[in-house]
Amino acid sequence: MSNPSVAFILNAHLPFVRHPEYPRFLEEDWLFESISESYLPLLRMFNRLVHDKIQFKMTISLSPTLCCMLTDPVLKERFLEYLERHIELGEKEVVRCTKEQPEFLEMARFYLDQARENLNDFQDRYRGNILEGFKALENSGHLELATTAATHAYLPLYKDYPTAINAQIELGVQSFLTTFGHLPKGFWLPECGYYPGLEESLKYHGISWFQTASQSMLLSPDKVEYGTYRPVQCPNGVAAFPRDFQTTSLVWSNASGYPTDRNYREFYRDIGYDLPMEYIKPYIHEPSLRVFTGYKYWAITGQTDQKVPYRRDLAQKRVADHAKNFLYNVHKKAKTLEGALDKNPVFTLGYDAELFGHWWFEGIDWIEQVFRQNAENEQQASFVSPSIFLAKEKDTLQTVRPAFSSWGQGGYSAVWLDGSNAWAYRHIHKAIERMEELAVRFNDQISLKQRFLNQAAREVLLSMASDWPFILFNKSSTEYAQKRIDDHLKNFNVVYGNMCKNAVNTEWLVKAEKRDILFSDIDYNIFNPER
Amino acid sequence: MILINIDSLSTTELQYIAQQERLEDWQTLDREELIDALEEAFGEQDDEVYSAQKGKIHRNRFCNSLTDYRGDKQNLSDLPGVEPLPETYLDTSIHLLLRDPQWAYAYWSISPASRQMVFGEDGQAPSSLFLRVQETRIESGEVLSFDISVDREDTQWNINLPNMGSSYLVDLCWRDRKGNEMSLAQSKRVETYPAYWQKHSGELADNYASFLSNFASLVTKEGEIVDNPVIRDLAQQLCKGVL
Repeated sequence: MSNPSVAFILNAHLPFVRHPEYPRFLEEDWLFESISESYLPLLRMFNRLVHDKIQFKMTISLSPTLCCMLTDPVLKERFLEYLERHIELGEKEVVRCTKEQPEFLEMARFYLDQARENLNDFQDRYRGNILEGFKALENSGHLELATTAATHAYLPLYKDYPTAINAQIELGVQSFLTTFGHLPKGFWLPECGYYPGLEESLKYHGISWFQTASQSMLLSPDKVEYGTYRPVQCPNGVAAFPRDFQTTSLVWSNASGYPTDRNYREFYRDIGYDLPMEYIKPYIHEPSLRVFTGYKYWAITGQTDQKVPYRRDLAQKRVADHAKNFLYNVHKKAKTLEGALDKNPVFTLGYDAELFGHWWFEGIDWIEQVFRQNAENEQQASFVSPSIFLAKEKDTLQTVRPAFSSWGQGGYSAVWLDGSNAWAYRHIHKAIERMEELAVRFNDQISLKQRFLNQAAREVLLSMASDWPFILFNKSSTEYAQKRIDDHLKNFNVVYGNMCKNAVNTEWLVKAEKRDILFSDIDYNIFNPER
Repeated sequence: MILINIDSLSTTELQYIAQQERLEDWQTLDREELIDALEEAFGEQDDEVYSAQKGKIHRNRFCNSLTDYRGDKQNLSDLPGVEPLPETYLDTSIHLLLRDPQWAYAYWSISPASRQMVFGEDGQAPSSLFLRVQETRIESGEVLSFDISVDREDTQWNINLPNMGSSYLVDLCWRDRKGNEMSLAQSKRVETYPAYWQKHSGELADNYASFLSNFASLVTKEGEIVDNPVIRDLAQQLCKGVL
């Protein structure tokens, strides 16, 4: 009987959004929602498993931009204010639901309790730094932590700019070292974006493994022996873990994935949109801009507007069913593959961390149930991290060249390069070329010019984030995404223009440094192609 | 950008603003008192506004003041010296980005000097611009090319790549009135590799183990296939030839 391994990899990432110049800023809520609904509940779940001595292993990539925001005093203070507002709203909701909508009272209390728990964990347990929670779980051997590109750039579209690729990887590694005190072994490729040759830069920076999209194996120019059921090693020895499409789709599929179950909570029905303006106004944004508050009381129900109230007991039953179904599928697949593979299969699952808890409300409970049920099963799947797997089986890997691929629509670069966002590359590429030029012309500057050039490097890197073209493609917060690309590039040009005149715009520099607090030890010489 | 309604600010935020506005005894005021005091403080600045209009204008001024209360009134990108992005750059270059194995995206710019060379000082010379796409078959080394006419105002183009297993580059060219052709700029190459299983689909169909581990893994039990045009083609080949 084959013993399947499962490598669960989550990518925790948010773009760098920090606007101290405004008392409150809509897009900063992305961070606060993710901490409240995903990161803190994930940590609580992991700690419950540790407490109950349930064996588990997961891998989490924490992006440099996210780590920077999670440790920023300004954003931490604002997160506390966000929690205060949520607790206040929860208290009002408990009163309102008791009187008016008792069918929602249980969930109102649940959300209120969760907000209070979040406040306690954030303030008392982690003393404002939740990264300590992830670090502790890594130290106890339950998590493998990995890094990703400095600003989560979609790398295939910068293939012609090796200095930019190198800067994204080097700063991703450096940032991880600064945050966690050791070098990372794994590197989450943003959007699973891979192009042949990328592994050379990864190897140069000491990376042992990365994950790829499912089709990277079937589309390889080489004859792949195990499809997506085993990691491979690139010709230079760096390992690639392809996502297993079938197992991933049990969760991921829009049509049939577990999160689509009718008993689960409906994400899009929120009191921020449903309740009268005079009641909800203190908890939304000006000018009367309705937003999600996190207080959601309806079940998915089906493709109808007539939703039924969410029942946590029914949802929890489905969570247990879905965990059981997942483990059943893992074993059934392993059994099916017995005759086809001469080695035990490894199912690599890769997801955005924010899917769990934030988008799929029950997702964290599902992960917990998967680990708990697996521990109780007679026949257990082995949950592994890529590094642990490689330590045992690196020598057994087939050498393969993965194919150009991503996890986006169509499987290549179409999401990050279409009519909505292609305009940006003309400017970003030019900024990279000019940054290289500055690094050559003004190498090893000190003092003010050094700071000016370092800020230019930050602006280039921030403009490269995959989030902005994705948002433009997805037509969500397009105005903000467009402005961010535009602003970073305009700001870069301030440095370029001034340095060409041998000048420094100090007013701009001071304000820019105050806003962009990330990569405090960046060295602009990283963009010097002659380095 | 989102401006903030005073009612939506936390007590801490209100206290901070009150402190910034130098309100007396701000530490001792509760939330309602803070709001009243702040509204009064800002309201005094609107004394000359007609009462009928006062509410609206008062709110606008109040929001603006709140937004700027930390003294960073100007956005970074609004500071002196920050210029709008140019539509194009003053050099002559062409770039080619691989979107997928069937399409690439090209963008280019033409310097004023090059433009003058192509279209004359008065811009009236009857020259034309075109893209020459050069394909090199990776296995055979065979070189093919085709041209795409573009207008002088064009700066970008989506280019269809006819074959996988080839590398492509593109020249931004011009043709003068006598039919002479010259390249203004050349892009770097993009490469597309043929998949092993595309060329050996028969093997995939004949060998159940290969089929199971390589192809079947990309289809869910509900029949949902991984979103990729090449894999869809392969699926069709397998359906036609074998299944």
